[in-house]
Amino acid sequence: MAEKILNIPLKKEEIRALRVGDVVYLNGPIFTSRDMGHFMIKKYLEENRPLPVEFEGSAIFHAGPVVKKKEDGGYDLVVIGPTTSIRMEPYHKMVADLGVRAIIGKGGLGDGSLKQFQEYGQVYFQAPPGCAVLLSEGIANIEDVHWLELGVPEALWVLAAVNFGPLVVGMDSHGVSIYKELEEKAKKRREEIYR
Amino acid sequence: MFCFTDLYEHVYNMIHRSATSISQDVRKLLELALSHESNATAKSMLSAMLMNEEMAREKEKPLCQSPGFPTVYVSFGNRSIPCCDLKKVWSDAIIEGTNNQLLRPSMVHPLTRDNSGDNSGPGVPNFEFDYIPDQEYLEMLVSFKGCGAELANAMQIFTVAKLERDNDYAGLKRWVLDTVIKGGGKPCPPGGIGIGIGGQMDVACKLARKAISTRTWDDHNPDPMYDVLEQELLENINRLGIGPAGTGGDTTLLAVKIGAVSTHTAIVPLAISFHCWAARRAGIRLYPDGRKETIL
Repeated sequence: MAEKILNIPLKKEEIRALRVGDVVYLNGPIFTSRDMGHFMIKKYLEENRPLPVEFEGSAIFHAGPVVKKKEDGGYDLVVIGPTTSIRMEPYHKMVADLGVRAIIGKGGLGDGSLKQFQEYGQVYFQAPPGCAVLLSEGIANIEDVHWLELGVPEALWVLAAVNFGPLVVGMDSHGVSIYKELEEKAKKRREEIYR
Repeated sequence: MFCFTDLYEHVYNMIHRSATSISQDVRKLLELALSHESNATAKSMLSAMLMNEEMAREKEKPLCQSPGFPTVYVSFGNRSIPCCDLKKVWSDAIIEGTNNQLLRPSMVHPLTRDNSGDNSGPGVPNFEFDYIPDQEYLEMLVSFKGCGAELANAMQIFTVAKLERDNDYAGLKRWVLDTVIKGGGKPCPPGGIGIGIGGQMDVACKLARKAISTRTWDDHNPDPMYDVLEQELLENINRLGIGPAGTGGDTTLLAVKIGAVSTHTAIVPLAISFHCWAARRAGIRLYPDGRKETIL
């Protein structure tokens, strides 16, 4: 298990070099997006409208922050941590086509994503769940926000990450998902415990 | 006749405490889990959780970005009745907590998904009232339960055959373990599960939520049969290897709590309510003579 620091935009080779269990810290802009954010991206693409940020080489964080509005109209980050990723599984193809290299969240994604990670060179990072104060230490400031009309949790926040982590590779680009492996093992063990 | 007024400050303090810390029974169980864990990733996840909780308390910041959904459990007796508008007091305090960045504005219309912006809205918070005639005190317990955990919940009306009573309830036990496996890392393990048994669908679901939200996680069920079942399920679930954050380890759950009542002879209503490790809750008892007791 290696420990690495990666800079955004992320390169495909860097992602291919990661294996399940590696620990990673990220630097650069991170975009938050969850249910409604993904829905908006889909809508914009369908309507051929320009997206507010460049997703090529990006890291999407399944998260919605707690923020404080500043007097100048900007926002300070109070805390942020991961939300349950599986809700965004239906958008896996769209996210890959956008050129997103890394997805940060909790609980993992499904088989569709795993297959695609192999094909496109993407990775899933597990953030420590429920650790919003700790993770916020790795965000220097909020750079921008889009689609705030969706509400604070669902908007697309642009966060300036500085050694953001620890993130554990939960799904890599070689077809390995720690969640899937553990699920299969657990099922077998359950058969032994209660037949 | 005496009745309680001026509850706002008590209520706001409970919101502050539950947003910025976890109940200490759960913290102790996390510390114990860390000392027993054999998996390296699991150890680092548990350490992160403990460190995060400490930081949240010190900095008075929300320990998780999501406030979950709040339920307030209120019980009172003939001589400990609240006579202020309790629902308004709680709703106002939640709005103030939101404006002070203790709670992220997270309450939305269930279909249009429009966000009210301050966690106000019909049914927020949810209330469960209980009237116990001889109870001397007014008890209020708030539980902000995370909603990633809700995604793993399950409810089924079992048939008597499916329960497998004469096979040591193997049907029920398999269902519980399979539900935990299906949940995987999604409900932010290592948390707890409440199992509601009996009544009808609505009753079983409320019992499940209440058991894991209001009991201390290191307690014992007063009913010996359920106590044994709780311990057995907990032990076997922790043999599954799902681990903290769902990335492997010896600690998948810290607690299994059962709430049970009678049911109809035709059915076996069962519900499982998942709780994340972030047990954000606070409970107090207020006595007519002015005494205040902290129970969670």
